[in-house]
Formats: sequence, structure tokens, C-alpha cells
Amino acid sequence: MSVTTLDPAARVAAAQTVSSRIWREAFASIEFRIGLIVFILLVLAAALYPELSGLDPTKLSVREKLIPPLFLGEGWTWKHPLGTDQLGRDMLSRALTGLRYSLLIGVATTVLMLIVGALIGLFAGYYGGRVDMVLMRLTDAQLAIPMIILAITILGVSRPTIPSIILVLGLAGWPVYARVMRSTVMAEAKKEYVRGAMVLGATNLRIMFLLILPLLLPPMAFVAVLDIARMMIFESVLGFIGLGVQPPTPTFGNIISDGRKYIMNAWWIATMPGVFLVITLTSINLMGAALERARNKIYGGA
Amino acid sequence: MKMEEAMKSAPVLQVSNLTVAAGEREILSAISFEIHPREILSVIGESGSGKTVLARAIASWLSDPLRITGGEIRFRGQDLVKNPGLARKLAGREIAYVGGNPAGALDPTMTVGAQLVEKLRAVRPDISATEAKKKAIQLLNAVRIPSAHKRFEEYPFQYSGGMMQRAMIVDALISDPALLIADNITQPLDVTVAAQILKLMRDLNAQFSTAVLFICSSLPVACDASDRVMVLNAGKVAEMQPPRALIADPKSAYTAKLIQELPKLWDESTRAPGEERDAPVPVLSIRDVAKAYKIRRRGEAGLSVVQAVRNVSFDVFQGDNFGVVGESGCGKSSLMRLLTGLERPDHGQIIFDGEDVGTASAATLRGMRKKFQLVLQDPYGSLPPQWPIGKILEEPLKIHGIGSAAERRDRARAVMNEVGLPDSYYNHLTGGLSAGQRQRLNVARAMILEPKLLIMDETLSALDQTEQGKLLDLFERLQALHGFTYIFISHDLTMVRRVCSRIAVMYLGEVVEVAPNERLFFDPGHPYSRALLSAAPTLETRRYRPEDCLLEGEPPSPIDLPPGCAFASRCPHAFDRCRAENPVLRDRGGRALAACFLNDETPAVSEKTYA
Repeated sequence: MSVTTLDPAARVAAAQTVSSRIWREAFASIEFRIGLIVFILLVLAAALYPELSGLDPTKLSVREKLIPPLFLGEGWTWKHPLGTDQLGRDMLSRALTGLRYSLLIGVATTVLMLIVGALIGLFAGYYGGRVDMVLMRLTDAQLAIPMIILAITILGVSRPTIPSIILVLGLAGWPVYARVMRSTVMAEAKKEYVRGAMVLGATNLRIMFLLILPLLLPPMAFVAVLDIARMMIFESVLGFIGLGVQPPTPTFGNIISDGRKYIMNAWWIATMPGVFLVITLTSINLMGAALERARNKIYGGA
Repeated sequence: MKMEEAMKSAPVLQVSNLTVAAGEREILSAISFEIHPREILSVIGESGSGKTVLARAIASWLSDPLRITGGEIRFRGQDLVKNPGLARKLAGREIAYVGGNPAGALDPTMTVGAQLVEKLRAVRPDISATEAKKKAIQLLNAVRIPSAHKRFEEYPFQYSGGMMQRAMIVDALISDPALLIADNITQPLDVTVAAQILKLMRDLNAQFSTAVLFICSSLPVACDASDRVMVLNAGKVAEMQPPRALIADPKSAYTAKLIQELPKLWDESTRAPGEERDAPVPVLSIRDVAKAYKIRRRGEAGLSVVQAVRNVSFDVFQGDNFGVVGESGCGKSSLMRLLTGLERPDHGQIIFDGEDVGTASAATLRGMRKKFQLVLQDPYGSLPPQWPIGKILEEPLKIHGIGSAAERRDRARAVMNEVGLPDSYYNHLTGGLSAGQRQRLNVARAMILEPKLLIMDETLSALDQTEQGKLLDLFERLQALHGFTYIFISHDLTMVRRVCSRIAVMYLGEVVEVAPNERLFFDPGHPYSRALLSAAPTLETRRYRPEDCLLEGEPPSPIDLPPGCAFASRCPHAFDRCRAENPVLRDRGGRALAACFLNDETPAVSEKTYA
């Protein structure tokens, strides 16, 4: 039994549009605010710190090599709060610059995967039949090629620049999204409200993009947020086998692969990118989860 | 008699002063009654009166925020409220529950038989698997599932709706419960199948001495099924009497109102809507339309052909209320899809406003959609989820590019007023709306384009009596205001009797009879129409006795139709000619047509008119 009793506060809320209510609801939660503040701080730091501090992340200074982070070990200084690496480069500056590139690669790749996968899945699931067959065989073909081999082929032939790395990772990742999208669209397209829209005279494109896609994209985007981390790690993997962003440009991948050799006496080199990764992803996930909860609360059973 | 015999024995269930509340609000207050072995007690009331809450309270199946706040539920003398552990032990064993959604209650990935055996062995681990199987098959036989041992191995999707409901009854009965709670079990079923289930339940009740708490929303069904009827109104017992006494002498004003509100099928005072004859040009004329689907059946190599719609011809005139009735699977919905251009007929013509819906190009069809609209059956599934009401209403205008944003908003608010949705709902989501409000919204969405023809596909079947009445009044008002023509596709004869001027009866994809309202109800020309009338839930003395007309079995599968009349296998009057030759619609005079050889004695008019 659905019994809705509206108290005055709810009545006021009901007068606003749905999306503004969702944002308001999300913003009211403490997790969302913490996530937002941390994320903004990180982005600002990544954007501004390397330039403002005047510490070039690629400038060598052999005299200052392997300085530990603040309050840890011997010889730490305020000049290098997170210490330096084996060539005396400032770790904070390197980590923040690395975050810049890793975030760029992670987000751009995920968005690319999501767009390609969702579109292909949408068309395949909605039209079915021959369209579905062609698109899904394409997906299977893509799935059959291991990502590493694809990366070696493409990045080995062309130079491993940031756009080409995004392209390779994006190409390798979309089939999963296409599969998920296709199956949910197939279920959704058979529902009564889709038939209702057809009778109203809506075109197929209108139904697909204005009716079905907005409904299915948010849950998928929520999963995609988790994939940002996976893509950042994949970028590290590429960096590790030498097909990632080339040194001296610091990314999390090549910082970690450098730090590996010094893990016994300078653990902080390989650790710092991980710490930043954890903080970034936690803040994104906090916001995502709060938003998802707000959505569920507002939409309720609808 | 049975009643007195029952009274002598100790009651199975004794409920006294039961009160259930959701937070501060009382849903049920001070309910008291008792049920004796072999007794069937019906509980009726409109939706929201607390029937289902009562059923769940007894089955120990209340979920938050509902709580029992007072009173006792004594099962064989033991109080279940004070002893929730015992209540949980009894639920499913001694107290069985059958719900109104058999398709949702059966696991689609297991055979029906496996589920029954699993259920039995879960409650009675001492029974061996072979014995359990034997018992399940025996019960499947008892509920008259044909060739039960074969059906035992089949999956739920191979069962029809009526058979699934029977399987659920078996599922409930298999543990030999002392009390069976049947919550709205006939609601989703067709009238002829529902009548069979009711008959079956009475037989089983006599055979297994189970007490039954029968919950339903239809007074005629309740009176038909039970020994005593309890009327619930807003969580309180309005009265409790044996059915005959209840009808003859209702003690409470509420019951009297319920009885009075019941639409009557054969009452002379039921004024059938007059036929509009000023406009001789039909709005919609259908000629010889047929549609077949090709499907692949399990375990067969080739494709099978399902004849969903065959030989359908009729005319609908301006301002008419045309009714299409028939049981599920008779092709009503396929016909609806053809009429609305969602699918193309294999042959035949559907002329709407001078153009053929069946062959029009996609763009022409899209333009034509402005002039005919469809209101769908399911109030929950037919609205786009997560859309606010205002957006839903403006969408059709946007699709056809009508008006500016401000004009669209004004138009949406105007239609909301017309169908009786408060203005403040404009930014609301559909989640908080009741089924009735949702259907109002559906109607509003359909009429915002100001169409000429509205097709109502079972629009009212999900609503209770009172809400149906309100919406029918609304339809009438809108028709007077805008001059709509309606096509009602329905299985509900009482509704059709009240609103339709002409009615087509469909059976297995064919129109077997088309007749004006009065003629169909007082002088039906086809045995199937008589069977439908005999099964209709009503308190009146029936003009057609179920014993003479009620059908045995279920309609044959529309795959591999037998030659001849499709109804021959269930028809009590079938003779040799029926099995060899398919009758066509013939004029019986007075604009009534029927497809039956029995009418051949009446002079046939050679000229074929569908008016």
C-alpha cells in the first residue's frame, strides 16, 4: 500500500524541479560535502601547486636525493614535504603533476568508453535483429583482442602520446559497457511506457535518447566512476612496460616503476602516487554515492 | 447444514480486537472474527480498506512500518501476536497464503513440479522425494490441471494464467494447512477462468476441510464464493453476515451503498448509451483484418504460426462508445496494436479518417497519431519512470512541435484540471500517485493532443469499483465536452454494459458477434457470448445459467487452429458442420451480427453490412 503523507516541508520541496531536489538532497549529506571539498582541493593543488611553488617536477638535484617526507627518517625539510626521489626531484610536485596526467587519462578514457559503449549498446538493444548482430559481433571481435597486445601494436607503431594512450585504453574498455547497455535497453524497450511513447508519435531516436538513455545512464555512470581508478592503474601498467607516457613527464605509472628499485630504502617514492590515488578516488566515490542515494530517495518507487 | 456443522467445532482462527498501525495511523482497528474448519469467510472492501494488511497480519507477514498494536490472533487457541516464533513456524505450514500474482510468485527457472516438491519438503522434511512428487501430482489433478504428471515437469511460462493460479493453490495446499488465505486470487483472471477457480476452491474446501479466508474486492464474487461475508470499510468491520442475508438486508449504510453502486447487467433501468446516428460516416472502419505471428516453439525445428487476429471487420462511428470484449489471449491486444499502427496487418484495411493505418508511411502515421490516442492498461508500467508529471504531459506536445514552452505548460495545467489532478502536482514524480490518479494522468496525456478517437485498452481493469465509476463519469464528461469517440477494449462485461453503445465479442482472434448493447445482453447470438454472460460476476438472477453455458477447459492454443469454428471444442451446441466449416459474421437484423450456424434459421441477409 502506498500511503503518502506530505508534511509542509515536503510540500515546499515538491514545488521545485526534480533535478534541483536531487542536488539539494545530495548536498545536504555530509559525505558529499567532504568529498567535494577534498576533490576541489586536490584539483586546485594539481592545477596550481607545481607552478606556484616554483619547484619543477623534472628538475634534478642530486645533492637533495632520497630525502624522506616530513617527520620521518633523517634529514627531512619543509622544502620537500613529501621528500624527494633518487634524482632529488620534489615528490609533492611530481605526485601532483602525475595526478594531473593520470586524472586526465583516467577520466577521458572512461568517458570515451562510456560514450562508445552506451551508444553501441543502445542501438544494438533498441533495434535488435541485424543491427544487433553486426554491432555485437564487432563487440565480440574487440573483446577477443587482449588489451596489452592492442596497446603494444598501436603504441609500438605510433608514439605513445597522451591522446593515443587514451584512445587505446578507451578502445579496449568499451565492449563491457556495450554489453551491459544492450541487455538493459532490450528489457526497457519492451515496457509499456515505450509503447506509449510510440503511440504518442515519438520517433525512435527520441525514445532512445530522451526516454531510455537518461534512465539507464546514471547507474552506468556510477559504475564508470570506479573504472576511472582501473584506467589510472592501466596507464601505470603501460608506463611500467615502457609504453605509457614517456619520462621525464611524471605520471603515476612511471613514478611507481621508478620507485620500485628503491622500495627498500626509499619507500615513499612508490607510495605517494598510491596515496593520492586513494584520496582522489575516495572523494569521487563519496560524491557519487551521495548523489546516487539522493536519486534513489527522490525517485523512490517511480 | 454445513454452517451449523462448522459452528459446532472449535474455531481454527479467532481474531479479537486486532489493531494494526503504520506509525501513528491506524490501518485496521479492533477487527474481530472467527473462522471454523470448512468455512469460507470472504473479506471485501475497496482498495485501501485494509484487506491485504489483514491477510498479512494473519500470515505474520507485516513489514515496516506496519505493526500490530493490539488484540489477539488465536490460531487453535494459541496467540500468534504474543508468540512470533510460533507464528513463523505456522506460516507456510498450517497457515497458507495465495496471492494475486501467480506469475510473480513462481520461480521461472524451476519446473512447477520441482517448486511444489521443494515447498513440501521444506515444511515436512520427513517426506521422501518420491512421495512428495506423488502428492504434488495428486493435488495438481485435484485442481484439474490436464495431464498433471506431464505438466509437473513443465516450467511456469508454459502454464496459462489460470493454470499458474491453480499451481499456486496446490503450492498452498500441499502442506495440508488448516487455514488458507486467498488474497485476490481471481482478480487477474478472465471471468470464465475465475468462475472455474471459485468452483474449484469450494470443492477443495469440502474435500480437504480447510478453512478459507477469501479476500477480494468484488461483492458478487465474494457472495458467490463464501459462507459468510465480512465487509471492511476504512479498517473497521462494517458488518458480517451470510451472503444472502447481506444482500437482502444490509445492516450498514456502507454495504447498502456498495450493493446499490453495483452495475447491473440485466436491469431494465440500466440505460445503455444511445447510438449516434447523425453522422453516417464511420471514424474508423476495419475490413477483414488479419495478423499472424511466427514463433519458434521449444523442441521444434520450424516456425509455428499464431493466428492472433483473423477476419475482423467492424465500423466505429463518430461519438460512439464501441466495446471490444473477450478473454485474455483472444486477440484484443493484438487488435489494439493493429489499430494504433504499432504493427501492420497481414491483410485487410484499417481506415481512419480516410487513410489506411495499415499501409500509411511512418511519417504519415506519425502525423495521424495526433488524431487517435491510446490509453494503456497498466497504470504503473505505462508512465515513463522518473519523469515529473508536467514533463509527461508536455511530451506529446513537444513531439508534435505544438506551442511554445509557456503555452505547453498552460495546456498541461489545463488538462490536469480537467481530469482532476491538483495543480500542485506539476513537478511531482509519479511515485506517490494511486492507480486511479495514474490512469487519470494517462488519460490526460492522451487527450492533450485533442484526438478524435481514444482507444482504452483495459484502462479501468486495474482499478476498484468506486474509482472505475469516477473515471467513467470523467470519460462521459470529456466526451460531451470534446466529442471524443471511444473504443473500450475490456474483459469486464459490467463496465461495457454501462458505457458502450455497440459491442464486439472476440474469441481466439475472431469477432464472433457484433451487436448493440441491449441486444447483446438480452439476446446474444453466439454461444460464447452466452458463456461470458453466465460467468459475469453479478448479484442478479442470471439470464444464462452457468450450468448450461459455463465452459469447461480453456481456449485451444491459437497455434494449429482446428478447421471449422474455433469455438467448437468448447461449445455445448456444436454439431458436425461446426467442426468442418468456419462460420462468418451474418446479419441477424437490427444491426446485430453473429458468426454461428445456429442462427441460420433466421433469414440471412445477403448484403454484408457492418453497421
